[in-house]
Amino acid sequence: MRGLARRLTTIVAAGLTVALVAGCGSSLEEDQQGAADGPVKVGLLVPKSGVYAPLGRDMENGFRMYLEAKGGKLGGRTVEVVVADEGGGPDTGVPAAQKLLQQDKVTTLVGIVNSAVALGVRDQVTDSKVPLIIANAGANAITGEQRSDYVWRTSFANGEVAGALGGYVADQVKDGKVFLAAPDYAAGKEATAGFQEAFEAAGGQVAGTELTPFGTTTNFQPYLARIQRSGAEAVYCFYAGAEAVAFVKQYQQFGLADRIPLYCSGFVTEGGVLKAQGDAALGIKGSLHYSDQLDNPTNQKFVADYSARYGDTPTVYAVQAYDAAAVLDQALAKGATGDAIVEGLKGVGEVDSPRGPWRFTDGHGPDQVYYLRETEEQGGKIVNAIVRPLTGS
Amino acid sequence: MPAWLSDNLITIVDGVAFGVLLFTIAVGLSLVFGIMDVLNLAHGALYLVGAYVAVRFARGGQAGIGAFLLAGLAAVAVGAAAGAGLAVLTRPLARRGHLDQALLTLGVALIIGDLLSARFGNDVQSVPPPAFLAGSVSLVGHDYPSYRLAVIIAGLALAVLVWLLVERSRAGALVRATVADAPMVRALGVDTGRLVVAVFAFGVVLACLGGVLGAPVLGAYPGLDERVLILGLVVVVLGGLGSVSGAFLGALVIGQVEVLGVSLLPQYASFLVFGTMAVVLLLRPTGMLGRAGKPG
Repeated sequence: MRGLARRLTTIVAAGLTVALVAGCGSSLEEDQQGAADGPVKVGLLVPKSGVYAPLGRDMENGFRMYLEAKGGKLGGRTVEVVVADEGGGPDTGVPAAQKLLQQDKVTTLVGIVNSAVALGVRDQVTDSKVPLIIANAGANAITGEQRSDYVWRTSFANGEVAGALGGYVADQVKDGKVFLAAPDYAAGKEATAGFQEAFEAAGGQVAGTELTPFGTTTNFQPYLARIQRSGAEAVYCFYAGAEAVAFVKQYQQFGLADRIPLYCSGFVTEGGVLKAQGDAALGIKGSLHYSDQLDNPTNQKFVADYSARYGDTPTVYAVQAYDAAAVLDQALAKGATGDAIVEGLKGVGEVDSPRGPWRFTDGHGPDQVYYLRETEEQGGKIVNAIVRPLTGS
Repeated sequence: MPAWLSDNLITIVDGVAFGVLLFTIAVGLSLVFGIMDVLNLAHGALYLVGAYVAVRFARGGQAGIGAFLLAGLAAVAVGAAAGAGLAVLTRPLARRGHLDQALLTLGVALIIGDLLSARFGNDVQSVPPPAFLAGSVSLVGHDYPSYRLAVIIAGLALAVLVWLLVERSRAGALVRATVADAPMVRALGVDTGRLVVAVFAFGVVLACLGGVLGAPVLGAYPGLDERVLILGLVVVVLGGLGSVSGAFLGALVIGQVEVLGVSLLPQYASFLVFGTMAVVLLLRPTGMLGRAGKPG
């Protein structure tokens, strides 16, 4: 009996060890060069492992593509890129940022997928006066009233993406009610809150909100049953990664797709997850600030170059990092110290981006157009077709 | 029927589907650990191997049942080879206790995970179910995916098969005899070393088959291996080590906890599974169907 008890303890301990070791997994790229003058060191903090690794790959591709197009120089200065692995969350991302700041002594920091990492790094970069250009993380609190002089964002705020859709959906459902579904963590709450605010302001009525357990379930059957029972005319959702794939596929498998239109923050059908969703994604409408289908010359060239270079169509994540390189290009022309770069960022004018022209707001976020996208099949491939702009710039 | 009841009925059915899937994962882990006394932390990674085998064979949209049978055969071959390899690797550690085995198999799991991620990328991959199971059927007033019903049937068949093999066949009797008294079995002229390899291979084959079976439901992506391993360990502890019927009961309970429990008490989602395990261990330290008198 005692032996057995010990065995049980061992396997549980071993199971926890697995979880811990896997959580710590990181592959920092060591690149030690402490030159005082010479190239400008840019720390690229993107996930190279964990659930967000595909986003990290797209961001690194986008950033490097801009850099290569400029012959390895931004603002006329040679740039040395030091990559660190953000991993799956703040437990790996914050130490990786510290390593870039303290060990590699980077001049500026670019990237960051996870909002918790961005919030964890914000005070540190402000204290050490290293400008941070966020190329994804969407927490509302990063920009706007709580902004830091040293933190800028070329991507989006969760509430804005979702809010852009609110008025449109209210128009579509008229007197019907809409059900909201998102994972139960900061981004999910900000998205549903952003949608609800804009939707109710336009006269819409919410049938119910379901915040599903984050990261512990990819089975949405119970929630889908509840949505059906609620009598909602439409559903708004926000999911990413494996959850986005599972939600969209199950939305079809459990028979909701034919009856209840699905609206989403565009990330739900962006990039690799769209391929995995396949036909189940057809007809989903969402809001986002980019699609590779956007019809403007800058984007057409960008898509052609990106496809030729990486053998895949670009995603919003690639564009956000591409634009981070573009604003850094303008800022570094003014100087290569932290404060000079911040002055440079303040002076950045209109950015000629594949998503269309945009500029920084006073809150350090992008003032940009959000588009209504609809997934449809074009030539045997499912794409996010642009329906129309949802917001004016 | 009130809507509340019909909603939860369908959720219970879904919990059974998930539980049966968990059984195919956990029973191999339980056999290898309970019977061979080897803690195989690579079990989750080998499940993921099976899932990627399904990805590979079902590539290019809607696959027929043929592609799935081929994937199943490939999973059996890969699983048997991997299991035999692991048996050989862990044998020198047999006398050194579980921690050394855990470290070795954990290392193997990390290597397999990295190789899979290098080969198949980090994107979430999904596998469409075989064409004739791609639709939905109407069940207590709800649409329910046919494939999940097929998972229940296939999993139940597998459970009966494994139970017959372990508890009722000559090979199963030999394995159980080896656990009880290996020198005596050897004296009867049976190569117990080969038996160890066979059981290990069988356990891993079940993990890989579980991967193929589960791929259309859970998909395949880096990180799934850990989730599956931890749920498998919980099922094994809950049901009792080395017991086929225990693993079955444990899997059904965890299936309901994961699906029905999480839907009724979403705020406790991350706590429910381990809470259930803790309660069962408090009441029955050897698991629900564990053999209390077994020398440990």
